[in-house]
Amino acid sequence: MEKRKVLIIDDSELNRGILADMLCDKYEVLEACDGSEGIDVIQQYGSELSIILLDLVMPNVNGFDVLQFMNREELINNIPVITISSENNPETMHRSFKLGSTDYITRPYDETIVKNRIHNTIMLYAKQQKLIDIVAEQIYEREKSNDLMINILSHIVEFRNGESGLHVVHIQIITEILLKHLIRKTDKYPLNISDIIMISSASALHDIGKISIPDEILNKPGRFTPEEFAIMKTHSAAGAKMLSQIEIYKDEPLIKFAHEICRWHHERYDGKGYPDGLKGDEIPISAQIVSIADVYDALTSERCHKKAYSHEKAIEMIMNGECGTFNPILLECLVECSDHIRSSLLGETDERRDIISISKEAEYLTKEVLKNENIV
Amino acid sequence: MTLKECFEMFGGDYEGVISRMLKEERVKKFILKFKNDPTFDLLTRSLEDENYEEAFRAAHTIKGLCQNLGFERLYKSSYEITEALRGGKKPDSDSYYQQVKTDYEQIVCAIELLDQQ
Repeated sequence: MEKRKVLIIDDSELNRGILADMLCDKYEVLEACDGSEGIDVIQQYGSELSIILLDLVMPNVNGFDVLQFMNREELINNIPVITISSENNPETMHRSFKLGSTDYITRPYDETIVKNRIHNTIMLYAKQQKLIDIVAEQIYEREKSNDLMINILSHIVEFRNGESGLHVVHIQIITEILLKHLIRKTDKYPLNISDIIMISSASALHDIGKISIPDEILNKPGRFTPEEFAIMKTHSAAGAKMLSQIEIYKDEPLIKFAHEICRWHHERYDGKGYPDGLKGDEIPISAQIVSIADVYDALTSERCHKKAYSHEKAIEMIMNGECGTFNPILLECLVECSDHIRSSLLGETDERRDIISISKEAEYLTKEVLKNENIV
Repeated sequence: MTLKECFEMFGGDYEGVISRMLKEERVKKFILKFKNDPTFDLLTRSLEDENYEEAFRAAHTIKGLCQNLGFERLYKSSYEITEALRGGKKPDSDSYYQQVKTDYEQIVCAIELLDQQ
């Protein structure tokens, strides 16, 4: 097995040497002679480093600066740091713990104590990482079968509609991109990564109400009569009703999001949509996002009565208000994510759900669990 | 001369350092390195240049090394000069440095003898 990497940041060569000599049979020891060299090594190896032994008093960039850097880059939760300063006044120790240092080894170094503390800290972090990986794997499996069932269901509806199955895949991709961008831009909508994955899964169900629309209307080439259009418009309320009748799962967040999306994805920000004429943020954010994604995909797809517009043209038409009115902040998101959306849709044959968001979700959930159980 | 006799020459804590570092060869290896360590020269130079922040760091490093290597007398004098220099202050007396110098030279002299064998 490859040796785990230990980084020693200390300006005294002799001190580094003493520690390295104690550790080199069991670990691969990397050395940095001050804070700035230390930061370079941290940037190069990232979480390949199993642990960092950090001196505090160093010229130029000192140990506290290194801890601050690790906090800024969010590395402090992934790489354990043990402070090895000969400063042993409580104030200094408190400050280093406050900045996220895991332990404090005082002088003189005792080989047995040093080795055991390093080993135990590494194991603790490795176990936590292992737990995160297990949770991520399980979530991934769960999401995959969830997605599979949702996709089968939504494809049945889409095929009946004569549309390609790509429509729902597109809606999911665009919904996820827009939501992720939205929460970076504003904290107005309290959504976490788990909600985002759930909303984009639920978005595939937006048109399930169309199952209740008669074939001859649903697949009519050319324009609807006012009566036919009125029947078409019932699909959003019909889909929502179907979901609200699933008694045993009615409290599931996925059902709650799917219900919002089905019922309100044809509402308009100015209140002129259907079925309820909701206005502004009365329309749940999930439905607002799916609405904009639905319009974009309708524009860029070929339908029996129209050709496909280009990506650029579609964005332009939405921005000019030719296809309804939308929340201004979502329009900003759409423009800012325009390139990302285009390239993701082109790459749709790849694994659609990116594994990074799954592992982020796992990390988030693990932390929530640990927090609730008062473990951390 | 044995390593133990060397430690006795400058009043070092031989038993302590062996119990912590576990191997006599390891202690000897780092003691010999101490002779060539640049930190004492840095302390001397920084004081001459009145660069008290650099002097503080150097004194601090010497103090830490002494703790690890069981140099008890030099630990005491380097601890005192470290505190006198803390915050980049000019020490209120030259005696701090003179004591560090005396203790340091005593150690280096003993190590030279050990090394000549």
